[in-house]
Amino acid sequence: MKLKICHLYPDLLNLHSDQGNMLIFCRRAEWRGIQVEIDYISLPEKVHFTDYDFIFLGGGTDQGPVYKDLLEKGPFLLEAVENGSVLLSICLGYQLLGLSFKKQDGTVLPGVGIFDAYTEEVPERLQGNILLETAPDLQDEIKRLGGAPLDTLIGFENHPGRTYLGKKAQPLGRVIKGHGNNGEDKTEGARYKNALGTYLHGPLLSKNPHLADLLLTKALYRSSGDVHLDPLNDDLEIYAHNVMKKRLR
Amino acid sequence: MNTDLQNVSKGLSFWTAFLAGRFVAFFCRLFRYPGTSLPGAVALKICPSMLSALAPSYEKIIAVTGTNGKTTTSNLLVHILRFSGISAASNSEGANMLSGVATALIKDCTLGGVARSPVAILEVDEGSVGGIFPSTKPGLVIVTNYFCDQMDRYGSLDHNVTLLRQSLDGLPRTALLLNADDPLVVTAGRGRSAVKHYGIKGKRLDREANGGGNTREGQHCPDCGEPLVYYYYHYGQLGDYYCPQCTFRRPTPDFLVTDVQDEDFLKFSLCFFEEEKEGEHGAVCSYKKVTRLQAPLRGFYNIYNILAASAAAITMGVSNDIIATTIQKYAPATGRMEEFLFQDRSCTLALIKNAAGVNEVMKTILRKEGEKALVIAINDMPADGRDVSWLWDADFSMLDHPSIKKIICSGRRAGDIAVRLKYAGVPLVKLVLEPGCRGSLEILGVQGAEEYFVLASYSTLYNYAKLLKKRRGR
Ligand SMILES: [Zn+2]
Repeated sequence: MKLKICHLYPDLLNLHSDQGNMLIFCRRAEWRGIQVEIDYISLPEKVHFTDYDFIFLGGGTDQGPVYKDLLEKGPFLLEAVENGSVLLSICLGYQLLGLSFKKQDGTVLPGVGIFDAYTEEVPERLQGNILLETAPDLQDEIKRLGGAPLDTLIGFENHPGRTYLGKKAQPLGRVIKGHGNNGEDKTEGARYKNALGTYLHGPLLSKNPHLADLLLTKALYRSSGDVHLDPLNDDLEIYAHNVMKKRLR
Repeated sequence: MNTDLQNVSKGLSFWTAFLAGRFVAFFCRLFRYPGTSLPGAVALKICPSMLSALAPSYEKIIAVTGTNGKTTTSNLLVHILRFSGISAASNSEGANMLSGVATALIKDCTLGGVARSPVAILEVDEGSVGGIFPSTKPGLVIVTNYFCDQMDRYGSLDHNVTLLRQSLDGLPRTALLLNADDPLVVTAGRGRSAVKHYGIKGKRLDREANGGGNTREGQHCPDCGEPLVYYYYHYGQLGDYYCPQCTFRRPTPDFLVTDVQDEDFLKFSLCFFEEEKEGEHGAVCSYKKVTRLQAPLRGFYNIYNILAASAAAITMGVSNDIIATTIQKYAPATGRMEEFLFQDRSCTLALIKNAAGVNEVMKTILRKEGEKALVIAINDMPADGRDVSWLWDADFSMLDHPSIKKIICSGRRAGDIAVRLKYAGVPLVKLVLEPGCRGSLEILGVQGAEEYFVLASYSTLYNYAKLLKKRRGR
């Protein structure tokens, strides 16, 4: 079995060690005997996103060049998502995949439009450890797959953006402790088909092995129709998850 | 007494603040509380302009800022100056924000509010330059390097570099001593007249230049955005670089280190820039070798610290001989690769706080032959940075090495470091989880390795130092 993976803008969107998610995702595949093939794509390369089972987009500060390039690549990225590619986007990556992004000076930039969401940037950052209750439908899926027995998600958020979801976007979870999308409505992240956007750093997958396996299963289903993952020993990840959960509760 | 001093009217609030600070310092000492920030914090609450009133009574104030190496550089400089008969006030315990700097000066001044030492060496947190520089007006600023560090506190690296530039704009007469090998640092000196640079000479490599590797934060040209091309890297983004599109390049170092030997001791030659001549392949710089230095420190990165401190001392008129002698006698500060005796074996304590730093520490550890056991202790208190995700930027796969026998994961984030090591490829049988400081040392002590190491983040470092000191010789 084999997965084709695309790491988008690894050189420009690399803040907060989000590329750790790539390492975790790939290791968890390899430990199960699944081969991974990674393409590192930056500007201004042309890409066939529909070739990829998993696409990753991290956070960063550099908005100009990435933004311009991403708008050109946007329709193809959307096409891949419509075709079932799994996409994980963090922080700035998440924001740019929404419908629009309003900067502090008032200028509004159109987004790629994968998520029915818009973002406004304000001066104060929302930061700190964050605890979510995983969205119920995701919880069900994770249970069905026999993933790690966790019904929460843990991460670290640090963002001046406030994101508001429209009707077509589902959140990743409900905020128990922390701020989430906007600090008001208790939602965190956005989902559309197999695309996921979130503010959670940490990196996200390091303390959430159940979410890592859910993404992995979906990517595997796309590549080979298989949905079975051999269980791994996740004691350390679950320990790290639970220690932080206990502190935040 | 300095004439500037008389111009500053020290009002009632200053004296209340000053005495309150001294009072707090006295009680800290009485109860054996470190008290490196509290006296200053109390005084600043009462009189926020405290520093501007105290600073003018110093003949010279030298500030050291940047991400890594501030503490060692300032301590070395204090050490060199002391040996040459110049006493210096300093915040040598790493309390490098506004309150720590205020504490250092309050403690150094007489009860009349006049400086005892002619010089103050201030280690300044890169996020605090905006508060400390305008009020202390340092005559010399040393900038070590800029790496990603504790980002949840300041937003980003660019922000720190911009902050430094802005703070320096308000100090047009301040001289700068900059690390030439770091393109991010070099930008701080552009358009200024009194700038000197220091750097380390490396071997040119064609193969690796401009490719591969992580933690190359400054890889783009600050002028035109083009990726920088490197003749060689030392580590991170430090090296000899130029922009292929414009004239930006590594400035010619005024102080250059050559012929580095990095074994148990660091040995290298310190050279001065003499002149630039036209050679066969363009301009060639000639250097005069001044002295051979030898220091009881480990880790390549410490060469930069010694180099910066020596260069600053030279600009203050200290002789080469005194520098060479004092550097040989230097004892590192807590946790800067400080060596203890633990269970009859050497145990080295190292502060780790960011990816570039921990990579260098790991390289130094692995250069030692023989079996090793480690404690890696990560806390997430404000002083450590509450976000520990930087662990994923560091190359922990180095520790997947046959000479590493056991790694005890400790601190409030013991789980995070264990997970990181697991994904770095360290076999699970080599990992132990023990969040407690005392407990982790106990487990370390029974490993029977030839050498021990403790890598700790800031807020737990002193706990380890205290425990290791107690057990010394046992
Ligand atoms: Zn350029």
